[in-house]
Amino acid sequence: MAIPGLRSVSALLAMEAGQFFEPAGRPGVARLTAQAMLRGTTKRDARAWSDALDALGASARLDVGSHAAVFSGQSLADDLGPYLDLVAETVVTPALAPESLEFVRAHTLAEIEEQKKDTRSVADQAWRELTYPAGHPFRTRSIGDEEVVRGAAIGEIRAHHRDGIHPHGSVLVLAGALDPGRAFDLAERAFGSWTGGDPAGRTVAPVVLDAARRRAVVVPDKTQADIVLGWPGLPRRDPRFTKAQVANMVFAADTFASRAGQVVRDELGLAYYVFSTISGTATQGPWAVRMGVNPENVERAIAVTFTELKKIRDGAIADDDLALARDKLVGELEVGRESPGGVAGMVLEAELFGLGDDHLDRYPRDIRAVTKADVVAIASALLPIDRYALAIAGPEIPPAR
Amino acid sequence: MIHALEARHAPVVSLWVWYHVGGRNEVPGTTGMSHFLEHMLFKGTAKHPKGDLDRLLARYGAQWNAFTNEDVTCYFETVPRDRYEVALELEADRMRDALISTDEVEAERTVIVSEREGYENDPSFLLGESLQAVAYDRHPYGQGVIGSKFEIKLMTRDGLYAHYRKHYAPNNAYVVVVGDDRAEALVEKAAAAFAAVKAVELPERSLAPEPPQMGEKRLVVHRAGGALPIVQLGFHTLAASDPRAAALQALVVALAGGGGGDSASGRSSRLYRGLVEKELATEIDASFGLTKDPFLFTIEATVRPGVTHRAVEEALLAELQRLVDEPLDEAEFARVRRGVLASVAFPSDTITWRAFRLGSLLSSGAAPSIGAWYEALSRVTPADLRAAAALTFVERSRTVGHFIPEAA
Repeated sequence: MAIPGLRSVSALLAMEAGQFFEPAGRPGVARLTAQAMLRGTTKRDARAWSDALDALGASARLDVGSHAAVFSGQSLADDLGPYLDLVAETVVTPALAPESLEFVRAHTLAEIEEQKKDTRSVADQAWRELTYPAGHPFRTRSIGDEEVVRGAAIGEIRAHHRDGIHPHGSVLVLAGALDPGRAFDLAERAFGSWTGGDPAGRTVAPVVLDAARRRAVVVPDKTQADIVLGWPGLPRRDPRFTKAQVANMVFAADTFASRAGQVVRDELGLAYYVFSTISGTATQGPWAVRMGVNPENVERAIAVTFTELKKIRDGAIADDDLALARDKLVGELEVGRESPGGVAGMVLEAELFGLGDDHLDRYPRDIRAVTKADVVAIASALLPIDRYALAIAGPEIPPAR
Repeated sequence: MIHALEARHAPVVSLWVWYHVGGRNEVPGTTGMSHFLEHMLFKGTAKHPKGDLDRLLARYGAQWNAFTNEDVTCYFETVPRDRYEVALELEADRMRDALISTDEVEAERTVIVSEREGYENDPSFLLGESLQAVAYDRHPYGQGVIGSKFEIKLMTRDGLYAHYRKHYAPNNAYVVVVGDDRAEALVEKAAAAFAAVKAVELPERSLAPEPPQMGEKRLVVHRAGGALPIVQLGFHTLAASDPRAAALQALVVALAGGGGGDSASGRSSRLYRGLVEKELATEIDASFGLTKDPFLFTIEATVRPGVTHRAVEEALLAELQRLVDEPLDEAEFARVRRGVLASVAFPSDTITWRAFRLGSLLSSGAAPSIGAWYEALSRVTPADLRAAAALTFVERSRTVGHFIPEAA
């Protein structure tokens, strides 16, 4: 997508190689593979590849999300050709040498150690274990299971690259200072020989919480407790997804514009941050409220969050709160156009989930069409107040007074 | 003072109001006052009661926030073009008419304590805060910005209000705006919005410079709440207005690149090659902030399991000395130069970040425009870089901090 007046191009290459597509029972293989891919190609070793990337002054990273592995970065407009060549080398012909795996394995294990002491990470992992059954792709954070990371062999990494990193289902979006015709030519030159791959097939049974599940994990010598309260969400392609986004905004998406944020932070001063996200994936990603509070305030913050949710489920939604949620979601589309990365992200989501060529035109209208009854129906169906998962990580929580 | 840039690639305007008040304007006992006050400017005015500003801006899909650092307090909003005047009206209104009620101060106090407690969960923050305090004997930069939990708990409404009335005025602020209109039109609208806000007599305060450090200082932070050891180094360095500041910025890229974390960029940098590739550290970072007074050039390494603090510290110091002893070769310098220029060009393609960049250059005195800063960076030579390293990385102005995780 051409955006006049800029000097750089933002690139996003999403491949259907995220957690959802990870080999069953092997959480961590996708991220190890991605990290190893960044350590040299069959044409040049890691040092030469880094030298070439830094010679362009370009940025690049490869992250494994719940749905896709996404290569993201930015280059100056004149460097787009060599930049895409470097990206393609990494994606199509990585060296995946055994010593590269050992390097990223050691790093990943060190990160896992750090995350064991990080209250947000601990709370998130505990929440996943409460919510998703064994074998579910989202039961573990993308960094993976420690034993899998310790034991993964180079053959498994190469197999995952062969089976998971392929053009089928992949989407490349370029936005910024470019000529579309030239950009297509450069992309064709870089990725034209990339072939292979089968439609990924993975069936995941629906997840239903049958009761309220709660776990508190003490992380010693911390000051603040982090809380994750959530439910299994709904797939991005579910026709109710837009309604769920509006419901999420009314409930807790924004610290200032949503009910939970207004009460927990603004009215009661219980937390510095409180927000919720609903993840768009092929299956039920997390729909979770997250907040950081003093241990003394944990129970109160949870209680008032439920009170706000109950109001929504009961239809006690002020007209202005609903209008605000719709306006904010529509307005963010317009403001998001200020950055090439923002534009690329919007296009990528539509392409990745097949939302239609007219998605960006249709989406604001769809948001505007969401009614109070829709929000109540979504909250009633997907955010039950007696069946949820609640994880808390931090200092010991004092007994209720 | 109003500065405007035209940016036509999206139908938005980003408005930033910078006040010359931050950590450097505070005294022991009430440290964190500027930051506390920043929170209170979201708590309503006579014209816009609490919640009004948040809901108005949220309704536009705006990005808005505020921050306080050692030098400034800054408020911004990026809004659709046709809401620019609303944003101006909100900022002009809260420049002098914030209510700062006792009840809201009490309600917000716990939020700020919560913000601080969140930072305290991070070992890197704990070590950095202590290192900053040890590095400065006299200058308020040693006090940090957020204040201690005890100071936050003792902050009074009247003290906050007095601080507000003393520092928040058009003659102690400037406006930076970037967006989808002619620069002249953006300026005209801003001038009209702030025209009725009266100037005040500003307090005169001569801030004595930090006396020269006469030898290395060391500190250790022990805590169970961290998994991996950390080594931090802080060197007293130059203010942003010093002509050598551009070379110091290039030094950051030479040492640690511009990426960090899982980024694949910056892996040709000296510290990545010398510590991460050599399996001494899992992460490295370097920073040189653009500040009004001389601040710290800081370096941080997360120690890899099984490696000692001492080994990492020695490797860091050896790499710093190598920058002094060995000039960068042509290829390495070309990479550094490209990285430095990209660090200006890339964020500038986002309207919000372009406005932030301009404001931070102006607030610190680094350059009068983004273009001038870009030119200053372009002129840096390998000899400048080496001279900046020789000036900065000296033992007597060094503070070394170790974070030691303890068993629970």
